[in-house]
Formats: sequence, C-alpha cells, structure tokens
Amino acid sequence: MVTTAQAVKPWLSSRSFVESFSTNVRRFPDSPALVWRGEPVSYRELHDRALRARAELSGADIGAAPIGVRCSKSPDSIALVLACLMDQRSFLLPATTLPEHTLQELFRRAGCARVVTVPGSSGRYSWVATPGADGIRRGRVAADRVRSFSPDPEAVTFMLTTSGSTGLPKIVPLSEGAVDRFTDWAGGQFELGAGRAVLNFSPLSFDLCLLDIWATLKHGGCVVLVEPARATSGKYLRDLLTSHEVELVQAVPLFYQLLTQAHRDNAGGFASVRHVIVTGDSIAPQCLAQLPGLFPHARLYNLYGCTETNDSLLHEIDPTEAPTGALPLGSPLPGVWTLLVNEDGTIRNGPGTGELYVSTPFQTSCYLDLPYHESRFVAHPDGADALRYFRTGDLVHRHENGSLTLEGRTDFQVKVRGVRTNIEDVERVLGTHPDIAEVAVVAVPDLVAGHFLHAEIRRVPGSALTSLSLRQFCADQLPQTAIPSTFHITDDPLPRTSTGKVDRHLTARLRSRESRKES
Amino acid sequence: MDHTQTITKFLVDEFLPDVPAESLAADYDLLSGGVIDSLGLLKVIAWLEDRFDVVVDDIEIEPDNFRTVAAMNAFVQNARRTG
Repeated sequence: MVTTAQAVKPWLSSRSFVESFSTNVRRFPDSPALVWRGEPVSYRELHDRALRARAELSGADIGAAPIGVRCSKSPDSIALVLACLMDQRSFLLPATTLPEHTLQELFRRAGCARVVTVPGSSGRYSWVATPGADGIRRGRVAADRVRSFSPDPEAVTFMLTTSGSTGLPKIVPLSEGAVDRFTDWAGGQFELGAGRAVLNFSPLSFDLCLLDIWATLKHGGCVVLVEPARATSGKYLRDLLTSHEVELVQAVPLFYQLLTQAHRDNAGGFASVRHVIVTGDSIAPQCLAQLPGLFPHARLYNLYGCTETNDSLLHEIDPTEAPTGALPLGSPLPGVWTLLVNEDGTIRNGPGTGELYVSTPFQTSCYLDLPYHESRFVAHPDGADALRYFRTGDLVHRHENGSLTLEGRTDFQVKVRGVRTNIEDVERVLGTHPDIAEVAVVAVPDLVAGHFLHAEIRRVPGSALTSLSLRQFCADQLPQTAIPSTFHITDDPLPRTSTGKVDRHLTARLRSRESRKES
Repeated sequence: MDHTQTITKFLVDEFLPDVPAESLAADYDLLSGGVIDSLGLLKVIAWLEDRFDVVVDDIEIEPDNFRTVAAMNAFVQNARRTG
C-alpha cells in the first residue's frame, strides 16, 4: 500500500527555498533577480530589502503570528514574502480584487495579526491591525527561529485563496515542504537557473507564481514582472519578451491571445523563448495554432493543476500536429497519483468520463477551516492506498488510447480570464436584491476571456432596476471577475425546464446567438 | 472643450445598452462595477485615440485615468493640450 511518506519519498532530498535563495545571494549577488519597470533588482538588493522587511516584522511586536499581505506585485511585496519565508511565518496572500469586507473576513479567519500594504511607490510598508484576530495563533514559533533558519517541512508559509461555493473564498495553506518539492520539480522540468529570464504574467496572489516567481528565485534566475495595470497591452507584453530575452513563459490563454494580436505585423517570432506553458483554462484551437509560429524555438506544454494540489498533469504539445478539439491533459508529474471516479463513487479504469481525483507531493493537507468542505479531501475510494486525494470537481474523459481531456465540471464553476468562478454564487448574490424576481447567470464562451458571464434578470414589477445599480451591488459582494459582463433585464418570465427550474442551458443558447448577432 | 456627452454616449452604447445616457453620472466608478474590465479598457482607449485623435502611451494606461467619465474627459483634454 502506497503511503503519503512513500509518495513523497523521491522528494525527501528536496532543497529548502530559503537556503537556496541565500546561496544565490552569496554566489552571484549582482545578478538580476527581478526586472521591474525596466530596471533590474539584483539578488543582493532583493535580499537587503527582505532583511529590512524582516526587521520591520520583528519590530511590529506580533510574535510569530501570521500576517496578511495585501499588496499588488512589486519588488517590495516580493521582499515581504521573502521575509515571511525566512521567518517561517504564515502569511495570507489573497486576490486584491476581492471586496473589502471579504478581505477583512479572510484576514480574520487566517488569524492575521497585521495586514501589510505598500502604499503607492513609497517603498515603505504600512501595518494595520486586524480587529478580532490579534494573537489568535501567537507564539507558535520559538523565538530562536528569528535568528537562524532551519528547514521545517511542516511549517505553513503561503496561504492562498480559491473560489468558494458559499461565497467566501477558501484558504489553502501550503507547507514549506510542499513549496520546496514543487519548486524543485519546476526547476528541473523547465531548466530554470542562473541567467535564465522567466516572465511572470499572473498577479502575485495566484498559485502560478509558485512556478514563475518562486521557483525562478530558488534556482537563481531572473523574474521579468508584468505590471498588473498594463497586463492587457499586447504591445507592452511583446516588448517585455524581446527586450529581456525571456526563456520561459507561463500564462493563461488570454495572454497568448493578446500577444498574437500585437505580433501580427511582425515577422519571425520570439526567438529567445525555450518553454511555453499554457495553463489555467482550455485554449481555443485558433489561438493554439499560432503558438509554434510565435515561439519557433520553444517546447510547448499544457499544464493542469488546482490551487489545492498545485500542478498535477503535464502534456507536451506536438507543434507539427494541427490542433483539434481539447488538448490532452497529459501524464502525472513525478509523485502524482490520479483516479477517475464514476458518479456512484466507483473507480473507472477503462475509457469513459469521471471526476478527476489527484494526490500530489505539492498539495495542501486541507483548507484552513477544517470542517469547511472537508469532503473535498478524501481517501482512495477502494482503500487501495493510504494517500489523501483532492476531488478536483473536473469531469475528465479517458480516451481509448489512455489520454485524458477536460470535459467540464461536476458543479457550476467556470473559468473567467483564468479565474475559477462559481455561477451559482453569482446567482445567489443577485437573488438577494430586493428588486429581482428571478435570475439566471450563464457562462458564454468567448475566444479571448475563455468565458464571460451573462445575467438574465426578471425584475419586480414597477421597479426601476438598471444594470448600473446592479453592478454596484455586485461589486460590494463579489470578486471583480464574478461580476457579469452583460445584464439583460426583462419583465418576462425566464425560460423554465420541465421540472420548473430556470433553464440555464436555454438561456445560454439564446444569449450566445444574440452575442454572435452583435459582433 | 467638454466631451462628457460624447464619451457618455459611447460608453452607454457600447457597454450599457439598458441604461439611459442621462443616468450614467460623470463620477460613476466604471472599473469597480465591472462596466469596463481590463479588455473593455483597451476598447475604450482605442476609441478615445480614434475619436479625439490622441495617442495613449502604454505608460499612461493607468486605470485611474479611465475610472469615470469625468476622468476620461480630463485625460482627453490634457492630451490635446500637450499634443
């Protein structure tokens, strides 16, 4: 029987992130660790900034309590995360686009004694106490940790967030060991190392940063940071790739779509790029077909993972093969175990469709709130091993030749610009508006965004409801990606199924016909 | 010259088909309410460039310049003066 310890065994010799980073600082202090707004930040300088952040942390008199990191991407926010990693201090890194009260609730739940921001370009941190959370988990770490670092694979460092089906995002704590094992795998797989430039497209709070920022810094490479405010300018992205001779790119399909549009008039491709990773969502065949021309010297990959488990399956795309339909998910990474499970809970061994369960050496042990969705982390249905599996909620099809492709979801989640979004959540929030009689939210496929959300609404007779007031209402309660792109407000009843439920499928069909007409 | 009306009409036609132009206030936050998302922003910028013959550098794509009708109007006026 495979146990967790055995599954993790190939990784027992994994290197500590903090020790590797310190070695890099000693070995090549003047090499660039980051590029930000065209300027390099050397390993020495980044280390110095991390030490300053660490000194501020120890001066804040919060013991070993977790902190909230409410910062968008910058060298200072990266230095702050480094300081936490050096201290083995847990820190919550939520998406900055969440509504204010949701952020406060998350910081409280994670026991963050202080929430840190970097106001403007001041380069100074600002510390705000979290009401009701001070001291919740204080004193867990002995004082000597502040002086000397010694690896502790069980210590929780990163706490990321993922969309929750009850509205409040779930907190995913990652152990030092999980991050060390993952960053080791990524370094070997994608040839990360000194002198290698890696593009970081996603926001700092995304799990994708574990690869493009944290694995790169562990292996001595240089992270070319995309400024969030300019992330949708194809021209800007194109110039970053060429002027910094980027060798690795990992991004959601939206990035490649923007780049294709910006690159249209230029001959040749991005010659420096050696590895191109498509992740986060399924890519449209038209966009996929552009990649070999865009990156003539690169190996192309489809990488599948969830925040809870990190990357799990990898497929190398054959650039000579014309893309048809969904990309294969590929094979499990070293130490990763997967199962396809039928609706009745039995294991599907042959071809067919089932829910994908995965167990990885990089995964969280559970959500921070234990009783909260504990059903998502389960044992092997037959007891055939002693691993802990994560139910991904993804419906996956196994073909005759054994390859896997993504079919859909077991629930109402869709990806909007690479962000998991639950359309039931959006409906539930809209349903609480006093002027709404009924509502259906549907995901309409979109070449660029993956999906956009559309809300079909019947208003209460006599109300003066408009999409303007509804948007404000949504903005107060939902992350920005979950606010519908389009609203249709009507006085007519919504289409119903034979069982009396609002017919989402019919609504979606009507809507996509309409959007085709408009464009 | 004040372009508030022209800008409002474009935004309503393009992003808010159910809303009468007069109910979109010049200080309504178009970004936080998701009227304009990051891709919509590109569309707005392309239209502003075309309609008012201004050039928006990448560096100026600060979301705050495009958060409200009033901010867009101010941006166009400044761009014209310096251009």
